[in-house]
Amino acid sequence: MDWQIVWESVPLIWKGASTTVSLFAWALLIGTVGALALALMRLASFKPFVWFAVFFGWLFRGIPLLILLFYAFFALPEAGWVLSPFWAAVLAFSLWTAAYQAEVIRSGISAVEPGQWEASEALGMSRLHYMRRIIIPQGIRIMVPPYTSNAMTLLKQTSLATLVTVPEMTLLTQRIFSNNFKFIEPIFALAMIYLAMTTLLLIGQALAERAFRLRV
Amino acid sequence: MDALVNVTGLRKSFGSNEVLRGVDFAVGRGEVVAIIGPSGSGKTTMLRCVNLLERPTGGRVEVDGHVLCEQLDDGKMQFADKREIRETREHVGMVFQRFNLFPHMTVLANIIEAPVAVKGVNKDHAKARAHELLEVIGLGHKADAYPLQLSGGQRQRVAIARALAMEPAVMLFDEVTSSVDPELAGEILLVMKRLAQEGMTMLVVTHEMSFAADVADRVLFIDHGLVVEQGPAAEVLSNPQNERTRAFLRAVLDRAPMTTDEEAGEDGGALEEHLAHGLLHQEPGESGKGAEAEDE
Repeated sequence: MDWQIVWESVPLIWKGASTTVSLFAWALLIGTVGALALALMRLASFKPFVWFAVFFGWLFRGIPLLILLFYAFFALPEAGWVLSPFWAAVLAFSLWTAAYQAEVIRSGISAVEPGQWEASEALGMSRLHYMRRIIIPQGIRIMVPPYTSNAMTLLKQTSLATLVTVPEMTLLTQRIFSNNFKFIEPIFALAMIYLAMTTLLLIGQALAERAFRLRV
Repeated sequence: MDALVNVTGLRKSFGSNEVLRGVDFAVGRGEVVAIIGPSGSGKTTMLRCVNLLERPTGGRVEVDGHVLCEQLDDGKMQFADKREIRETREHVGMVFQRFNLFPHMTVLANIIEAPVAVKGVNKDHAKARAHELLEVIGLGHKADAYPLQLSGGQRQRVAIARALAMEPAVMLFDEVTSSVDPELAGEILLVMKRLAQEGMTMLVVTHEMSFAADVADRVLFIDHGLVVEQGPAAEVLSNPQNERTRAFLRAVLDRAPMTTDEEAGEDGGALEEHLAHGLLHQEPGESGKGAEAEDE
């Protein structure tokens, strides 16, 4: 492996980093908001909410992400809804994230001791209030590790957006080797950049775990 | 009698398991009623039906003038709407066997959460009142501690303070000494005894026979989901009429001879001094901070 080429590839690939990060951040943001709504629906007593949340999880966890991406990019325009490649990708990734993180949030909430719900109820708190102040803050502690795992998966999966022409890091890497026919070096540089990004997420996980740990 | 809690024909089944089979009882204002009985007799379920943590499958529950549930003529249960249930719970303090303090919040935050959020009490007032309560239960120095940093006895005292901060009309106690070490039970019982002396209405599920004898006005003995015997504490405990009550008391007293509340652990004396300042809220101006509620 020629380190010189690895080194020269980095700035070229790095031009796509902001696109990768925006894809990831938008999908994580929209997906997490959706996931919270789905988790609360899943735990609601109003049955249609439960059915919708179950259906959503079944559908978007059951179809390969790549196919969701193709749908957003190729099929939606035929239905008259044209999105830029970037936003088509954000849409597909958000649906995927919402479906997976909803399970994380739901299981985190369910893992909070029943006594916490009872104490809140006995004090006359409204459900909205104690979910926000008592249950979810304790559930977060349980949610952080699996939430981070899903986020790491999402970050790596943004490379699929290459296939719908979003100029993120993986696409730019392909441009390098179609120019100079060097394959190993740019790919190595790309892998290292992804690794650096996922490492940041793991550091975030460690910090979050520390912030939410119980004082004993 | 001015009944604060009035329960008639209370039934509760979990699937095919009928835990309560038609229970009637009432608790008058200022009365302390102890519920005793063998494990699995339904006493905890009975208590939890009073604030609807358990939804009865039959009968009627009325608390502080609110009908929480009622059985209609066709046998169906009709429950009060959510808002009314919530409003009633504001006046019904509950203390649990396993404390159920909020572990992610400080002791102070545990106590002020509901008064501020539910009753709309000004945060500074709530804090001042919480500090006052903590002082009286001998935990003034623990306001900024987290629940898991406290002993079981301390946690349960905080749980009592949390309930009292809502200024409830009645307090429910569900085996509140059962998950603390025996030598720490005394400090919890002292606080409860003081509360009774100040005239709090209390419904207490307990295995502490000496507490029932000392503090309760009335004792209900529950077995297999029915009130088997009830009456003044002294009568039921020293001269039980029912054979099952006799057998239960024999078994309980054999295992643990009656202890007195004076055995309240090392700092029992200090705690008693703190408690003398009174747990219940005094109207400002009515009596200064020095004047204790000596209404026993």
